[in-house]
Amino acid sequence: MSILALLLSGAGLVAAGMRDRASDGIERGFRAALAIALGTGAWAASYAAWRMAFGTPGAAKDVVLALAGAAALAVFRRRLPAPAQGREPAPRWLYALFAAACVVAAAAFVEHTMRFPDGGWDAWMIWNLRARFLARAADLHSAISPAMAFLAHQDYPWLLPGAVAQAFSTFGESRMVPAAIAALFGALAVAVVTLGVARVHGARWGLLGGLAVVTLPCFATFASNQQADVPLAVYFAIAAALMTSARSRTELALAGFSAGLGMWTKNEGVLYAACLGIAWIWRTRDLRGALAFAAGALPCAALLAWFKLGLAPPNDLAAFSTRATILENALDWRRWAELLVLTARRVVYFQDFGFWVLAGVLLLWFMRKRPFSVLGTALFLACAAYGPIYALQPHRLDWIFRTSADRILTQLWPVAVLATMPALARTTART
Amino acid sequence: MNRRVTALMVALAAIGMLRILWLHFVSEPRNEPRRAPIDVRYAALRAVVSSGEAGYVSDLPAAVHLGEDAATLGTRMYLHVQFAVAPVVLRYDDARPPLVVVNLHDPSRLPDLMEQRGLELVAQIAAGLAVARPR
Repeated sequence: MSILALLLSGAGLVAAGMRDRASDGIERGFRAALAIALGTGAWAASYAAWRMAFGTPGAAKDVVLALAGAAALAVFRRRLPAPAQGREPAPRWLYALFAAACVVAAAAFVEHTMRFPDGGWDAWMIWNLRARFLARAADLHSAISPAMAFLAHQDYPWLLPGAVAQAFSTFGESRMVPAAIAALFGALAVAVVTLGVARVHGARWGLLGGLAVVTLPCFATFASNQQADVPLAVYFAIAAALMTSARSRTELALAGFSAGLGMWTKNEGVLYAACLGIAWIWRTRDLRGALAFAAGALPCAALLAWFKLGLAPPNDLAAFSTRATILENALDWRRWAELLVLTARRVVYFQDFGFWVLAGVLLLWFMRKRPFSVLGTALFLACAAYGPIYALQPHRLDWIFRTSADRILTQLWPVAVLATMPALARTTART
Repeated sequence: MNRRVTALMVALAAIGMLRILWLHFVSEPRNEPRRAPIDVRYAALRAVVSSGEAGYVSDLPAAVHLGEDAATLGTRMYLHVQFAVAPVVLRYDDARPPLVVVNLHDPSRLPDLMEQRGLELVAQIAAGLAVARPR
């Protein structure tokens, strides 16, 4: 019933948001990836809402979710096919290279999972720890008890722990469960970017975009770490892909729903949703579209507010900050200079990024005179926001930067690829 | 231009793939030992400490305050026990709850630490790992 609820709710959401019929295999693949990702998110978010409202959910929650999905599928049956777009095909060797890259990343995922069977440090310290609490205890408060060390980050939203906890209840408490969910989100990240670009610009650009994600050296590692960064990247990327190609306000609402799931995945999701919304208004002046986006994000925003205001202990960044430390950090020019140096060094951090990020920064320099797109603006806003976040937070700057910068890049990278490929496709089409 | 962009991206992808292969199939097997699952050492605690809150004491400090190094072995040991015994909430450096997990890097320090914290043994789980209660 869980899998049926996940698939039906996802398919129902996609049917409600994208009213035309998929015109070809690429579009069908893109929508299938969306349905699985959004269905998983809805399944986990509804679990959290039920848990906070009524306690541990039984089968009733999944029955309600499955029925709602089935009803949406019935009501929003697609009638008109989506208009066909001129797309550039890809040569066979590019398909072969993409397949080889996916095999390499999958092998790295398996190897890393076997080497670190409980996932990365944050997986057992935060995400799977929370999943164990949720699966093993009826009392939600124990999962977020302030008596635990702050490193357990009891204030973090719990889309991923909710999904893992439900899977524990269904399949038993095995280390395979969080690993399988991590693999699913890793595959979805690659699929969303590849198919999201291909549906607009053709298979050549889609495969190149997919390559940029799957061959980012740290991607397979972060996917296998069983942390929330890749799931957040998936929801941010879905929202971004839908916003750039939206033909209706319902698609913008679906983008908002995905951004909302990002908010329920990690605290950074709030920043990314806000950046997408602001960038949309800034670049399109379409307030109604922005309202549709906000309406889509509302369910998960409400869920997050309910958790943060009603249950969660304060975030460590807020708990350890005082007005005096914030002011002191803001006026400390050495801290800002250190941040600039750390950032510049990270751009050329070959071990985790190869030359991808350096290439992206150089491309940005060459294209600096062109107006920013919605996604480019959203990424610029997100990066700009991280400046004061890093500088003003209370922890040692080098420590928090070292432990978080690569994860933030992983969250942003799929959207950076989605933002870059249209510019490359247009540039090369003109020459 | 189209071909140049494609060639450049393919080159970047090839470099990325080689880096992935090097890290996961050459460097890590040589330099990064495989971790044992956390539950191998700690799962037996759950039979003794199964619900509510428990204390935690150790011979290594864990990072629980601002500015402390969170990457220390003591922090890892504390968080590993928390992960294993969930949904029990572990109170760090607290020897007052009815049950206290004693987790030691140096097992020979067990008698000293029990004496120092006013604890008596309830169950010895493994070398350097015990459950105790206040005397």
